[in-house]
Amino acid sequence: MTETSFATHEWWESFKETVNDDDEMKVRGHDKFNENFYIDIGDERVLIRMDGGQISDITPNPTMNHQWSFGVEGDREAWEEFVQETPPAFNHEIIASHYRSAVRNEDGHLQLTGDNKRIFQNLRAFQRTLDLMRVAHNNGGT
Amino acid sequence: MTETHQHGDVEPITGKYVHVEIEGVNHRVYVEENGPEDGIPLLCQHTAGNNCQEWRHLLTDENLTEDFRIIAHDLPFHGKSVPPTTQQWWTEDYTMTAKRFTETLVGIADAMDLEDPIYMGSSMGGNICLELADWYPDRFRALIGLECGAHSPGFYIDWLDHPQVNTTEVNAYACWGLMAPQSPEQARRETMYLYEQGATGVFKGDLYYYSVDHDYRDKLDQVNAQECPLYIVNGEYDYLTTPEDGRQTAEGIGEGATAIEMAEIGHFPMSEHPDLFNAYITEILADVTGDRDEDLPDVMTPDDVGIELHPPAPAREKPAD
Repeated sequence: MTETSFATHEWWESFKETVNDDDEMKVRGHDKFNENFYIDIGDERVLIRMDGGQISDITPNPTMNHQWSFGVEGDREAWEEFVQETPPAFNHEIIASHYRSAVRNEDGHLQLTGDNKRIFQNLRAFQRTLDLMRVAHNNGGT
Repeated sequence: MTETHQHGDVEPITGKYVHVEIEGVNHRVYVEENGPEDGIPLLCQHTAGNNCQEWRHLLTDENLTEDFRIIAHDLPFHGKSVPPTTQQWWTEDYTMTAKRFTETLVGIADAMDLEDPIYMGSSMGGNICLELADWYPDRFRALIGLECGAHSPGFYIDWLDHPQVNTTEVNAYACWGLMAPQSPEQARRETMYLYEQGATGVFKGDLYYYSVDHDYRDKLDQVNAQECPLYIVNGEYDYLTTPEDGRQTAEGIGEGATAIEMAEIGHFPMSEHPDLFNAYITEILADVTGDRDEDLPDVMTPDDVGIELHPPAPAREKPAD
C-alpha cells in the first residue's frame, strides 16, 4: 500500500481487514466497542460502523439515515502524516493531534468531534482502530 | 531495553520507607535507590498518577550509579506510599497543589538528609522545577525539568475520574500519544501498565497542579536559576510541553536556565526509551557536575549519544494470516 492510494476503496477494505484481524481489538473489553464514528479527510467523509470491536461496514458519504457517536476531522495532509510509518510529532496519535488543535489552536492537525463521554468510554479501542490505519497503510509495518 | 537477565539475578535496587512531614501530616513514603551512599544524590520524581517504577532503568544504569546515589520515590497516594493513617482521606478528592508538591519534595530531601542533591522530575515533576527554583533555590544543587514548561493547560479532564468510564485504561491510554512512536513498544506498553496501577482520582488530582495551579507565564522573572542551575529538557514528541515551550521558558528565566531538546523521544523519556534517555541524561549530568568541556547542544539526537534507533515501529503488528 502506498500513500498515493490512501483512502481509496481498496485502502479502506485493507484497513477493515487489519482491524478485524487485530488481536488487541479482541481483548480487555475492546470487543465491546460498538460506537460508529466518521472520518473526514478534507471534504470526504466515511462512516466506520463498529460491531463487537470489528468493523462491520465502511460507508462513504453517510446521510441522515445513518447514526454515529463521534468523529475525527482533518485535512488530507494531516491524515497523510498520521498514517506514515513514523509519523511526525503531534500528528502521530489522535489525542496528541486533537490537543494541538483544540487547546493550542494550531492548524494542520486532526480534531475530535461528537460525544466526548462515548469517546472516553471507548478510548483505547477507538484509538487503536485509528492507529491501525497506519498499520494498514504500511502493509503491517515492514 | 537491552538488558537481559538470568534466573537468580538480583537487581541492586533497594526499597525502604521514610516518614515525611507534609503540611503537618506524617506520610509513609516509599523510596527506591541504588548507588554509593556517598555518591551525588539524584532525587527522581515520577509523572502524574504514576510511581517510582518509571525510573527503574535509570536506577540500574551501571555507569551512572558509579557516581550518583539515585533515589526515586512514590509521592503520597501513589505506588507503595499509602495514604496517611491519621486522615479521613476518602471523604475528599485528592488534589495536588504547587505548595503541597514542593513541601513534599523538600520534605523528602530533608527526611533523607540529602546533602546538595540534584533534583530531576518529568511532566508535573518537570514543571515543579520552576516553583522549586522560585521558593527553595538553596535546597538543590541543580534542577532538571524533563518535559517542563511555564504553563501546561488542558489536561485536567473530568473523564479521567468518572464512574461511567474505565479510568484504569483511560488514565493510561490518554497518555499513549505522549510517547514517540519510534520508542520501543515493550517500553511504551510498560509505561501504560504503570499508569494502570494508579488509584482512583489520583491522576486527575495531580493534573490539577499540572494544568491549573501551575502557571508561570507572567512570573518567570521570579525563577532563580542563577542560584540553582535549571535544565529544561523536553522531548520532540511531547505535545503538552514542547521543546519550543522549553526554549521560551528558559529564555524567560534568563541566566542559569538552559533548554535542551531530546530528539526522537516523548513525554516519558525515562520509561518509554530507557537506553536513549540514559544516554541523553548522562550528558546533562556531566554538565551539572562540571565534567563536560563543551556546552550542551540545543538539540541532542540519538547519533550524538551513540544510540541506534530501533526500526520505525508505530504499531507494527502484522495482521494475522
